[in-house]
Amino acid sequence: MPTKKDKGQATPALPADELTPATTNGKEEADKGKVNEPLLHLIVFKLGAEYYGIKIEQVKEVTVTPAITRMPRTPDFVKGVANIRGDIIAIMDLEERFRIRPEPAESENGVTYTLVIEAKEYSIGVVVREVPQSLNLTVSKLDKTPSFLQDIAVQENYIEGIAKVDNRLIIVLDMYKILSGDEIRQLSS
Amino acid sequence: MKSREQEYKEIFIAEALEYFDALNRHISDLEKRPQDDQLLAEIFRLLHNLKANAKAIGYLRISDVSHKLETAFSLIRNRELQFSDEVVTVLFEGVDLLGELIHNIDNENYGEPDPVLLRNLDIIVDNLSDSTIELAKVRRYNTSKNLSLSELVYIQIKKLDHLLNLVGELVIDRDRIVSISRELENDELKVVSSHLNRITEDLQYSIMDARLVSIGSLFNKFPRIVRDIATAEKKEVDLTLAGHDIQIDRNILQIITDSLLHLVRNAITHGIEKPEQRIKKGKPATGKLSLVARNDRENVQIQLTDDGRGIDLSQVRKAIVDRNLLSNAAVEHLPDTEALSYLFEPGFSLAKEVTEFSGRGVGLDVVKNAVDSIGGRIRVDSKKGVGTTFTLQLPTSIAVKGALLFEVDEIFYAIPLIHTEQVVAMEVSELHEVGGVLVADVLGETITVVYLHELLNVKEQEINFGDKTKLKGLVQNIIIVSYNNRKLGLIVDKLYRQQDIVVKPLNKPLDTIDLYGGVTLLGSGSVCLVLDVPAITRYFISKRQTIAAE
Repeated sequence: MPTKKDKGQATPALPADELTPATTNGKEEADKGKVNEPLLHLIVFKLGAEYYGIKIEQVKEVTVTPAITRMPRTPDFVKGVANIRGDIIAIMDLEERFRIRPEPAESENGVTYTLVIEAKEYSIGVVVREVPQSLNLTVSKLDKTPSFLQDIAVQENYIEGIAKVDNRLIIVLDMYKILSGDEIRQLSS
Repeated sequence: MKSREQEYKEIFIAEALEYFDALNRHISDLEKRPQDDQLLAEIFRLLHNLKANAKAIGYLRISDVSHKLETAFSLIRNRELQFSDEVVTVLFEGVDLLGELIHNIDNENYGEPDPVLLRNLDIIVDNLSDSTIELAKVRRYNTSKNLSLSELVYIQIKKLDHLLNLVGELVIDRDRIVSISRELENDELKVVSSHLNRITEDLQYSIMDARLVSIGSLFNKFPRIVRDIATAEKKEVDLTLAGHDIQIDRNILQIITDSLLHLVRNAITHGIEKPEQRIKKGKPATGKLSLVARNDRENVQIQLTDDGRGIDLSQVRKAIVDRNLLSNAAVEHLPDTEALSYLFEPGFSLAKEVTEFSGRGVGLDVVKNAVDSIGGRIRVDSKKGVGTTFTLQLPTSIAVKGALLFEVDEIFYAIPLIHTEQVVAMEVSELHEVGGVLVADVLGETITVVYLHELLNVKEQEINFGDKTKLKGLVQNIIIVSYNNRKLGLIVDKLYRQQDIVVKPLNKPLDTIDLYGGVTLLGSGSVCLVLDVPAITRYFISKRQTIAAE
């Protein structure tokens, strides 16, 4: 499936050098990297007060959040379902999922964005308040084993690593682990 | 529309031509490798099938020639006839004759097949290897006959599934365009959209039609199965089948295959008594089992009836109490049909209590789940000593369902019509709070009624099913649904229309939520949740029990 990117709505909001709008093809961007070291291409977004990143291969599409139909009697982190180009996709609230305290400031004019993520077994939409950004960084900038992660049980470990770019800390998520088996079970109860 | 008969005929011809092609190929191979047993077996099989099919549909000439050829090949297989040059010639000519007969099924001017050739076939069949008899020369058939390809294609059901999904999406977009064109008031657009409307509908029904198979394809397996089970159980069972020609979606038939097998097995092992017992009871020694399919409105009904010992309702009632499903007092007033519906309760496998006496309940919840999963219904009727009937109500097609659209708390919902009994409007004063729930009298029947908003949206700890004050407005729209012989009234905020909907199953990870059977997209593009009546009923019952326990 080709990676669709929604053009026109990704204006850089982050003042980082290596941040580019999340519109261009990730592979090309990566190829233009100045060093020979392999590059990591991330889509960066904000949850609560922190920046989070998802590898671009896992992001199918970025779009303005469509109308969401609430699904009663599902866990709180399921905001509902939305019709994205004919596909009915579950929309998740990761702030709710990770119990992140939301920033009080609402996004201007109430527009939010949805990252459509294709994990191995499911597609989900993740709602973010600000325009997601595209970011290239060298693999070595990703710290895969920060000490605090080692205390967490493996199944809880949806954090793949921490990247530091221009004094900014980006938490890189492993989308394949975002919904644990437990949570999927919680859905059915 | 072609008649079924015409369709069967076309299928027969297409298949027969395929057999004919295969025969030609194999027989040519055989000429080179006369010792190849596998080839012989394959030729034998093809001829045998062709014979049986032709006989079934009444083309006796074809079945006759096939029979002769089959005999000849069986002789060759048993080494009683040499696959010698002379014989080969006759066999080739025989196969050619078959092809000619198949090609000329519809040709009324086609005369009798060449008697010399038929006689030659008889000669090699009857005289075995006695080669002294002269085979008469046959006028060679014209070998420059037209090449033709089969009229039939085999297609994987997966591909049909895919087509059906695509057309489902198309229908949704079609609805959207139709509603937009209505708003825009553009004449040209209106013409195009009404044409699109018609074509899409045609396409949809054509694809649904392509997936239909006749129920006979499943029913025909039962005579043998029934015979085997009956023999093992030392029982005498007479099976009658009816409704072979009823058409149903292939996947639906696939899903209920195991269930039907299970019910048939149950009926023989537990329902029908041994001959000596039957005679003692004044019944004929041979038990009767009937499996009948019929069209019932848009649905297909399959009924399995036995004249065995039936289900002992008092045992069922006792089991309900023993399992703490209902109190003693409640069970006494439970109507028979409702009591029987407990047989489908998970874990109500009564193996100890009921099976010894009436022998039902083993794994019936599994059957019920299968039927539920395709949006069907199952009902059991039984009279002790007289017999038991299971009635399965199945949708003809998976994709399109008639449904009732409504709104609760600004969310659109749909309920498949197969689960709805009726829709009533009632004033709040006609609803009564009894034992923590609302009940209403609908045509003389007392039915439990629940406000869907309360069931779906109120925090689980704060649910109060009996609180009338939460109802908006004076008149309430109530959809009466029925599941497992139990009726439940659902109060909705706004009732819309009845509409054919295309249900899209929920994708992972939402597919495990059983409250929703799927979603459908409305013409406006908004998502409409399709409520699963069995799950809603179960959810209501479990919530009610939780509240009662507190």
